[in-house]
Amino acid sequence: MVLDALILQIKLLLQDDMGVTVNNVQSQRGVTSKLSMKSYTSMIGTGGKLSLLIIISFDQSMMDKMVEIFMEGEEIDPQEELEIKNSVAGEMINTIIGLSLPSFPGRGKGVTITPPITINDASSISKHKNSTIATAEIHTDFGNFSISIIDSENSTSQEK
Amino acid sequence: MLNVLIVDDSLIIRKKLSKLIENLGHTVVADAQTGQEAIEAYATHKPNLVTMDITMPDMDGITAVKHIISDHHDAKIIMVTSHGQEDMVIKSIQAGAVGYILKPLTQEKLAQAIGEVFSEYAIEESDLLDDDF
Repeated sequence: MVLDALILQIKLLLQDDMGVTVNNVQSQRGVTSKLSMKSYTSMIGTGGKLSLLIIISFDQSMMDKMVEIFMEGEEIDPQEELEIKNSVAGEMINTIIGLSLPSFPGRGKGVTITPPITINDASSISKHKNSTIATAEIHTDFGNFSISIIDSENSTSQEK
Repeated sequence: MLNVLIVDDSLIIRKKLSKLIENLGHTVVADAQTGQEAIEAYATHKPNLVTMDITMPDMDGITAVKHIISDHHDAKIIMVTSHGQEDMVIKSIQAGAVGYILKPLTQEKLAQAIGEVFSEYAIEESDLLDDDF
């Protein structure tokens, strides 16, 4: 349920607001125990009635496209480049979760979200003990990115 | 023309808002990354309008609104927020904010929000610009 809500809002956000068509989405739930990170990764934790880690990870070409859209083609100061890319990753996950929240269990009521956290130089994230991972790989003409959920308490169980 | 203070901890949102505000013919007099910086920048620049993020390090936007309004009763503050933070928006309005903009940011949303606060900048629907993330 949560992953489906995220995927739907990603498609709407990319296609309607950013002019980027989603060509294909490959999702899997509860199969993998390790997530491979791409070039730029940001995560947000949810709390309250739903405890999840939600992670977005962009490959280089997709991030370049996102930055181009956010900056509207304006030149980037090389000294700000990394901060801008991390900032874009954070804004993307923040916006996607914000748009998806009304479709979360209980319509997202009582669910809190943390500010985005940037992950640098990580190649993978592994699940711990009984936690479960649901992940989707989003393919576009401009590159790929993944959206993943780590549910440490199986709080969404069959719904996720 | 309005003098605007942008408050947001996200560099890309500060840049985006700055561009949208200038596209609308207004001037960004300062930006701030934290609530405390916002309070100090407001006292220094006395802007006509503040765009305020809700979630920031050191002091959230709601607390910053309370501080600014307590010192400057006529301050005009618009919250910039994501869907799903409705409770926070309500608290911000109760604290004295005069409006809000939901992300993703567009020129249209910003122009409408400004027009609702400053009637001289109210826009007709036919004047709305294209969507702009």
